[in-house]
Amino acid sequence: MKEIRLATKILKTLIKDSFQYPSRLVAETIIVISRCGLLLLLYSYVFKINNGVINGTTFLFSAWSIFLYFSLSTLKLRQISKLIAQDVQSGNVEVLFSKPASYLFYRMWWQIGSGLYSFIVITIMGVIVLIALIGIPHTMTIGIFIPTLILTFIFGIILSLFLYTIVGLLSFWIEDSNPVFWTVDKAVMILGGSYLPIALFPPLMYKIALYTPFGSSQFVTHTVYESWQTTWTKLIGIQLFWVLISGLVVYLIFRKAKQKVSVNGG
Amino acid sequence: MSSKAIIVSNLTKKFSFSAKNPSFGWIKNLFHPEIKEIVAVNDISFSVNHGERIAFIGPNGAGKSTTIKMLTGILFPTSGNVNILGLDPTKDRKKLAYQIGTVFGQRSQLLPNLPLTDSFEFFGVMYDMSDEDIKKRIIELVEIFDLGSFMTQPVRKLSLGQRMRAEVAVSLIHKPKIILLDEPTIGLDVVAKKSLRDLLIKINKEENTTIFLTSHDVGDIESLCDRTIIINHGVMIKDLPTSDLAKTFVYEKYIDLIPEKNFNNFPLLPHGIRYSLQDKNKITVVVDINKINVQESLKKLLDLFLVEDIDVYNADLETVIRHIYERDSTGN
Repeated sequence: MKEIRLATKILKTLIKDSFQYPSRLVAETIIVISRCGLLLLLYSYVFKINNGVINGTTFLFSAWSIFLYFSLSTLKLRQISKLIAQDVQSGNVEVLFSKPASYLFYRMWWQIGSGLYSFIVITIMGVIVLIALIGIPHTMTIGIFIPTLILTFIFGIILSLFLYTIVGLLSFWIEDSNPVFWTVDKAVMILGGSYLPIALFPPLMYKIALYTPFGSSQFVTHTVYESWQTTWTKLIGIQLFWVLISGLVVYLIFRKAKQKVSVNGG
Repeated sequence: MSSKAIIVSNLTKKFSFSAKNPSFGWIKNLFHPEIKEIVAVNDISFSVNHGERIAFIGPNGAGKSTTIKMLTGILFPTSGNVNILGLDPTKDRKKLAYQIGTVFGQRSQLLPNLPLTDSFEFFGVMYDMSDEDIKKRIIELVEIFDLGSFMTQPVRKLSLGQRMRAEVAVSLIHKPKIILLDEPTIGLDVVAKKSLRDLLIKINKEENTTIFLTSHDVGDIESLCDRTIIINHGVMIKDLPTSDLAKTFVYEKYIDLIPEKNFNNFPLLPHGIRYSLQDKNKITVVVDINKINVQESLKKLLDLFLVEDIDVYNADLETVIRHIYERDSTGN
């Protein structure tokens, strides 16, 4: 109960904080729309020159798949690794360690809260624009779509937080975790279907995307395809598996990390 | 309840780190680096009673912050025991956090973009206080710390003095039994320093909060703390009432000599007297009264210099502390 109250307070506080900078939201919206819009323009052309169908899928499915990737990315969950690294390097970790809350619990909810306002606004705007411009595929009107989307979205958030937290916690051992962050981040982006819609992946890459935690963290991009209706139990199972494994890794690394704390002046 | 708020026994903290050895190849440096060890805190023991105001002082790198971080459970001791309010910080960090407040002078815990009220409410929730208790406590703290005039301003717009008052006030939101402050007055001007010290004394008297403070500022120690623990090179070298600290070097007297005109030459001084300051407008000498008494030294000084005024006094606290550090460093 205490944890729920604290999590709610963190989210409320950060949404209030977001209101202090409306220009930041506008800038973020423009960046996301530009990046997503450019990719959609590119793919609309690619599909057009291939008579509208590539690998058995159409632009409509691919566009929504890419959009869902960008929607999840507006939560900026990857930033948790940088925040943890900053806490460790600046010594700010001592302030948070002296509070009666779990450092990681606090940091994870803080990260969700930091992107929540942008996520809500950008997602609502994006959905409206996409419906108006290209419509929605029939797969998104089937009964299981919304509940399974929510489920895979939640697992995706948890898995992303765990993956990037592991990267951040490495700062307790290595001075610069940026190379690790870069590798993990690109793996998530590529295998998650940010550059290339997952329906266009070659078979081997599709398998890698399916069975690695990097691709699994972005299974939300699979939900719009026809195949989701038959594979969602398997995919959510894979996600759950990686959530448990990465959660265990986070727990073990953090236990060790707590004993590695060494802050300036101490 | 034990009369001791803090009990520290044989506390030691060693930091080990890998250091590149130029005589090793890069492979050996990578897989079998040379491990170096520094002893930041070396076998210190002390205890603090409820309601005491303790200054924990020492030069840079003495081990003050390491100790305070072990007291709060942030750092794990290499050996020895810490008992705070009956709890072991390494095992009961969260439980202990409800009982203690911490202020790290060089780091802020406040929410920078939001009004101060939000920081109070935020930490109130973190300390699991009811909404009603948070409101009541905010009113109390606003009154004690006189925060009313800037409660609605975003924290980033506060002056350093206002922010430090707010930092201390926020750390007291849950009425901690002990407050540990790591250089709370760093960077503050004299007015802000005095104001913060007065507030800490007030909170100590009104709420019987134990104050454990590290500082480089002699004013903090002199005006705030009734007991001083001095640490250097990780070793505790003094633990005594602050009022007795100045008596530590009571065998030294300082004499200021003000010239009738100007001092033009600085002759050799008699045995037991040495120059501390040589200026044409003022000479300060230090007299070792084990070697020569004050009366005798005054006579000899008056033979040597033509003076308009003389002032004889004991060393100030800052000088005393500097002497203690120096004496410890030279092993005398």
